[in-house]
Amino acid sequence: MNCLEFRRRLGSEPACSFEDFVAHRAECVHCAAAHARAEEFESRIRAAFNVAVPANLADRILLAQTTEARHERRGRRRGFAALMLAAAASIVVALVAVNRPRTEVPELAGMVVDHLREHVVGADRTGSPVPKQDVMDAFAARGVSLASVPDGVNYVHKCPAGPYNTVHMVMPERSGPVSVVYVADKRIAGQVDFSRDGMHGRQLPLGKGSLVMVASADADFDAIERVWKSAMGEAVATSEGFAVPVLQSPGPGAILAAP
Amino acid sequence: MKQDVDCKETATMPVYPPMSSRQNQFEALVRGHSTDLYRYAYWLCGQDALAQDLVQDTFLRAWRALDKLREVGAVKAWLITILRREHARLFERKSMPSDDIDDFDLPDPQATPERRTEESALRQAIAKLEPKYRDPLVLQVLGGFSCSEIAAQLGLGEAAVMTQLFRARQKLKGQLGLDDQAAEVSEL
Repeated sequence: MNCLEFRRRLGSEPACSFEDFVAHRAECVHCAAAHARAEEFESRIRAAFNVAVPANLADRILLAQTTEARHERRGRRRGFAALMLAAAASIVVALVAVNRPRTEVPELAGMVVDHLREHVVGADRTGSPVPKQDVMDAFAARGVSLASVPDGVNYVHKCPAGPYNTVHMVMPERSGPVSVVYVADKRIAGQVDFSRDGMHGRQLPLGKGSLVMVASADADFDAIERVWKSAMGEAVATSEGFAVPVLQSPGPGAILAAP
Repeated sequence: MKQDVDCKETATMPVYPPMSSRQNQFEALVRGHSTDLYRYAYWLCGQDALAQDLVQDTFLRAWRALDKLREVGAVKAWLITILRREHARLFERKSMPSDDIDDFDLPDPQATPERRTEESALRQAIAKLEPKYRDPLVLQVLGGFSCSEIAAQLGLGEAAVMTQLFRARQKLKGQLGLDDQAAEVSEL
């Protein structure tokens, strides 16, 4: 390797470890000096590239993965069970259809409930409203532009629920805290109310996604539904026509969490 | 029990069952490569939140395809390929400007003020590079890939990659007012 070849390689790959590159560096003082200057510049480039990494990034990825893995296992178990039941079901399919419980948790809401069981938000994190810009940003990161941000969002976080991307919020309402989860990339067909293990829920289509609410009481679901429809720029029907309702601020005893 | 997890902030932490070897493998993958992958994603898309989403989506895809991973030595290249595809998908869906990097307020708290200013200037200069120069440079500096590996990643010839890397450094030095390596070469 001559000096010209060395300098060309140095300019494109300073950390090159080719034998002839290393050998030339050892025998040419000028090229060795050029290599030293290049190394110094490389260390500055490396430092510039090393932007700060968000705290707990690895943990959040692992949480998303374990949530998905759990859902996959459940899906496989359901698949196996469905296979076993298929023969028997053929005999009683009509009876099953008639007796299907009205409060069965829909699939999307089931994923959200599974996520809420994993991601329990402590009362210490829901004591006061988060800045509205944080809510805006969380939705923006999911590709959703809000017309406004409802009052009383005391917790917000971008979370996965099964294969879907969501914005997970907690809104402490009069009848207790409500977990409000916006699923950005799945729009369901219509509204469904459900209950499971003493918890109540509602899922409804909203914007290009779906909104799922879960709480120990369903008294505030209508109000929350209205404010989020308004926030998404959807017309809201009230007894006085179309309006934009405003939720009351959370009460002093409002705490909570997901189920 | 696991360490603190951002998505589980309470004392009511569930007890995890013993992990499978596949789960162990994946966890090692995440802990070993999420930092580099985030930085790569950041310089690819220029946005913190989007970079986090990209990295998460990349690892979720990697988890689903983990059984296909044969060469442990090639794992970083494999992850970067997945991430680049995820970014391309996102770009198709949202028409995201790939070179709109505008947030550089990420100073190293250990660094001196002079050092921070210099890093900030260098970050601005890197951000101003056209993607065709920035992409191979990021792969080389952050990924530690050789020119031939970068060529394979980007679907280019090795000579083209070498030229782009040479020019990328020239442009950075030019923007920072440093001596020009091209001049050094032409003097020979």
